[in-house]
Amino acid sequence: MAFKKNGLMSNKEVIKELLDCFQNEADTPLEFDEEAILLAYQKEDQKQSISIKILSIFGGILASIAFLGFLFISGLYSSDISLLVLGGVLIVTSIWLNKKSDRIVMDTFSVSAFIIGFILLGFGCLQFKVSDNILSIIFIIIAFASLNIVQNYILSFIAVLIINGSILTLIISNNLYNIIPIYIAAIGMMMTYLFLKEGKIITINKTLSKLYNPVKIGLIFSFLIGLIFLGKKGILPIDANYNWLSSIIIIPLIVYIITILFKVINVQNTSHKIGIYIFTILILLSTALSPAISGAFLIILLSFFVNYKTGFVIGIISFIYFIFQFYYDLNFTLLTKSIILFSTGLLFIVFYLFTYKKLKANENV
Amino acid sequence: MKNINREDIQIIVRHSSLTAQGIDRILKRKVYNDKDAWQKFFQIFIISLGVGFTVAGIVFFFAYNWDDLNKFTKIGLLQGLIIITTLIVLLPQIKDHVKNIILTGASVLVGVLFAVFGQIYQTGANAYDFFLAWTIFITLWVSVSNFSPLWLIYLFLINTTFILYSEQVAKDWSGIFICLVLFLFNAFVLISAVYLDKSKKLKWFLNILALASISYATIGIVIGIFDKYQHSFPILIFIAAITFGLGIWHGLKTKSVFYLSVIPFSLIIIVSALLIKISDSEMMFLLVSLFIIGSVTLTIKNLIGIQKKWTHEQ
Repeated sequence: MAFKKNGLMSNKEVIKELLDCFQNEADTPLEFDEEAILLAYQKEDQKQSISIKILSIFGGILASIAFLGFLFISGLYSSDISLLVLGGVLIVTSIWLNKKSDRIVMDTFSVSAFIIGFILLGFGCLQFKVSDNILSIIFIIIAFASLNIVQNYILSFIAVLIINGSILTLIISNNLYNIIPIYIAAIGMMMTYLFLKEGKIITINKTLSKLYNPVKIGLIFSFLIGLIFLGKKGILPIDANYNWLSSIIIIPLIVYIITILFKVINVQNTSHKIGIYIFTILILLSTALSPAISGAFLIILLSFFVNYKTGFVIGIISFIYFIFQFYYDLNFTLLTKSIILFSTGLLFIVFYLFTYKKLKANENV
Repeated sequence: MKNINREDIQIIVRHSSLTAQGIDRILKRKVYNDKDAWQKFFQIFIISLGVGFTVAGIVFFFAYNWDDLNKFTKIGLLQGLIIITTLIVLLPQIKDHVKNIILTGASVLVGVLFAVFGQIYQTGANAYDFFLAWTIFITLWVSVSNFSPLWLIYLFLINTTFILYSEQVAKDWSGIFICLVLFLFNAFVLISAVYLDKSKKLKWFLNILALASISYATIGIVIGIFDKYQHSFPILIFIAAITFGLGIWHGLKTKSVFYLSVIPFSLIIIVSALLIKISDSEMMFLLVSLFIIGSVTLTIKNLIGIQKKWTHEQ
């Protein structure tokens, strides 16, 4: 698969070459602030490796778990006001530290402080008998504020997850389970917009260009968490009859992406287009009651479209899982399932042979 | 022409007069996947779905255990299917990656064959010998195809066979010993694969293997810390120390941040377990929390330093 190699360049000549490259692609003369770019590269060259990001996050989570252990054994979780104060101080400290110096070295500490801060704040509020609704709204406000103040990758990613979790809590604690499919559809729309309008979003302002990557991965995870609620029966009492509310948005999104793809792949023959549309819509409609499958497919398509490797891998893994879950939960005898699976498989193989022939014919021309 | 990637664009866009349209054009030409990549992706995706669903259909069909079918028909059907799929693989006009996908499907069918055999003769569906037979009889295909997803299935089967054997037959083996054997096996495969993989195309495969090996070592040592003393414990520590050292050396040599972050993380978990073994008081948990933050930060600081050195060397 043609994922391009990552890796940033550092020294002056390379950057010069790079800027020339940008100039070549543009039709009007461009202005660059070369000093600032060089400076940014010197700072940013620490930010390349996904291994380091994962290390920071896992380190932060482990440290938070150990801290929770401390909290429970010591019985401190029942002291109200000190929890609130400490929680607030930790959140503010982690945001402030990032604002002062956006060094990746500080990530583990600020991530831990951020997560522990939220946990303490949550416990503190519960001691004061603050309702779930108000607590969720407080969390959403704090997380939003942190996104506005600092755009550190990991902190922003966690802030997005906290916002998503709080919205889900709001929905669940008010027993509005059937809104979840609509909520998921809304995230799907936001995610698609974010992927397809990359150029537009990152040129609006500096803050958005920095938030782009963490919000993108944050939205993928939020979308997935929602899909798991729909894809695995029994986690939440969602009435499966409302699941199509997600599909009714996700399926058109996929069809829309395919329309764009026709331009990329250069499909011009109208009958081929109609054939592909019918095939896609038929297959997707058969999954209308389990939007998790089409949702995972949406992640795959979007990620491959913009060449986003992490999202692509997440999409493939969740796609396989949701298909498995779908057939596992299906209320048919194994024989009926077998017939459905087998004929779907044959359909794909026939479609493959058909497109293969067409491709061959094209190559020979 | 230089390779422009997404991070370059994001940095430069903050300090230039580039417009949204300009960025979109550069993204499309330099970052996004092109026509060829899409065609390849769709081909592999659709044929994988085709083979995957078909094989799953066959699995479910035999899982249904249709009483009206007699045992000869069942086994005969499956053997016929395996022969047909294997013959398709021998057709010269089929592309290599399609052959590999079909062969992977055929390998799953071999498992179904043994499962049906077990169904008829009541050997049980999760007996270790079922997995053992499955593993043995696809060995040839695995080595011929040299297809990494099939290799992954194969290694998964070997691991499963061993774990089931330890649960069903060798019930007196300790958790540490089981982890030691699994660690040794996976690390051995990993080291051989690293040695043989000259093309450097199998990074994801090697990383999964490395992750599995390191996890076995970590789990084994953590069990050893909390359980009563076993003779295999010092052996595990000794071999893990050597292998981790090798891993760090390999990471430094090949400039792979992966090894340099996974191995220290495993060590951090082990030390944290040791600390909790010493005392499980509240203060210790606070200390562990601080220790994790401190040690991860230190690791990252070193990693960044090493990476800086690498970029300067270039």
